[in-house]
Amino acid sequence: MRRRRGSAAADDAAVIESSWRNPERFAVLFDRHAPHIYRYLARRAGRQVADDLVAETFLAAFAKRDRYDLGHADARPWLYGIATNLVGQHRRDEARQYRITQAAAAEPEVPGHAERVAADVTAQAMRPLLAAALAALPVGDRDVLLLIAWEQLTYQEVSRALAIPVGTVRSRLHRARTKVRQALAGTDAAATYEELTTNE
Amino acid sequence: MNEMELLRELAQETPLPAPAELDAARARLVAAIAADPAAGGFTAVSEVPMYQPYPSSGQPVEPLRPPAPAPVLDAVKLMYGGAVGTVVQLIIALAYIGDIRAYHLTVLGHHLTTAQLSHQRPLIITLAIAFGLALIALWLWMARANGQGRNWARILSTVLFGLATLQLSGLHGVAQVFWAMLTWLTGLAAVWQLWRPASSAFFRQCRQAARTRQP
Repeated sequence: MRRRRGSAAADDAAVIESSWRNPERFAVLFDRHAPHIYRYLARRAGRQVADDLVAETFLAAFAKRDRYDLGHADARPWLYGIATNLVGQHRRDEARQYRITQAAAAEPEVPGHAERVAADVTAQAMRPLLAAALAALPVGDRDVLLLIAWEQLTYQEVSRALAIPVGTVRSRLHRARTKVRQALAGTDAAATYEELTTNE
Repeated sequence: MNEMELLRELAQETPLPAPAELDAARARLVAAIAADPAAGGFTAVSEVPMYQPYPSSGQPVEPLRPPAPAPVLDAVKLMYGGAVGTVVQLIIALAYIGDIRAYHLTVLGHHLTTAQLSHQRPLIITLAIAFGLALIALWLWMARANGQGRNWARILSTVLFGLATLQLSGLHGVAQVFWAMLTWLTGLAAVWQLWRPASSAFFRQCRQAARTRQP
């Protein structure tokens, strides 16, 4: 159901185990997952900060690789968990990133069907609202929402990443979605957008 | 379209980075890997020439082994903690010996009389001290040997922990039971750390390294 980044992720545990003897092997994990971790960090804290944070994520992961639970073949949740903790230490950068998103409401350049373009324009109009709603969410709720919506982790993977029970993941996601929905609801842009996308 | 789809649409604006954008981060990781004591250390074992226990300097070759991973280091610390716990236990036991009554003590199935107990008390104290010191020495020995990656020490530690578990039933007094339980829990944590996957890999490497060194 959820997106998988190739079967390579299946042997992350084997790579980590071999890195206990041959630390050089850990670079394989970087090559495999760094682009996605970087993108997640860039989405949350901006590209400039992501440059640093992606390095710190893998340095932290390397330092504690001997504590990795080999029962989990896929190391992505572990890496996302470390990255999310690091984002937590850069709250100011994250808030700035949402302000940038709010401010940037450029016109879509993709030509196409008139209604589709209109929907794009309205979606652009909703973007500042979305960014504001994200910025207003409690940290824990936002972590869960973004790991699921952006990185497409499963509930179980988010549970592993954030070291919280699956039930907590569900309740946080529900709370976050409700708040975002409420923030978007009732606005002109939302109504127009809903209408346009329903008619398509 | 719901808020999740809107969020995904928002996320589309951030593409995956070009490989060059990750170069700096990769370089930092590679530097950390190179600085890791294990990097190249284990492969160096196979490069040590055989039949060369004494190089030209006349000093024996330092045995090469991978650095102990965190679980083994934790286990070693716990064992030192266990030694400290045993010291406290010994002190409590010595205080307890002063209060011992004849009906508490049975030797080879015979209850001792008060006169016999009075006569035997120095011997009992000596035995208690010797036993306590032996236990402390065992903790320290196991800590050292496990830290050096000796697999027999890991097995012996586990066996000793099993024996210590059997011994728990013969305790008297709140203080003695409390400290014995605390020391036992320390042992449990140490044994658990010794059998974690990273520890097993370390002991396996040490065994291979030792085999490589054998002529």
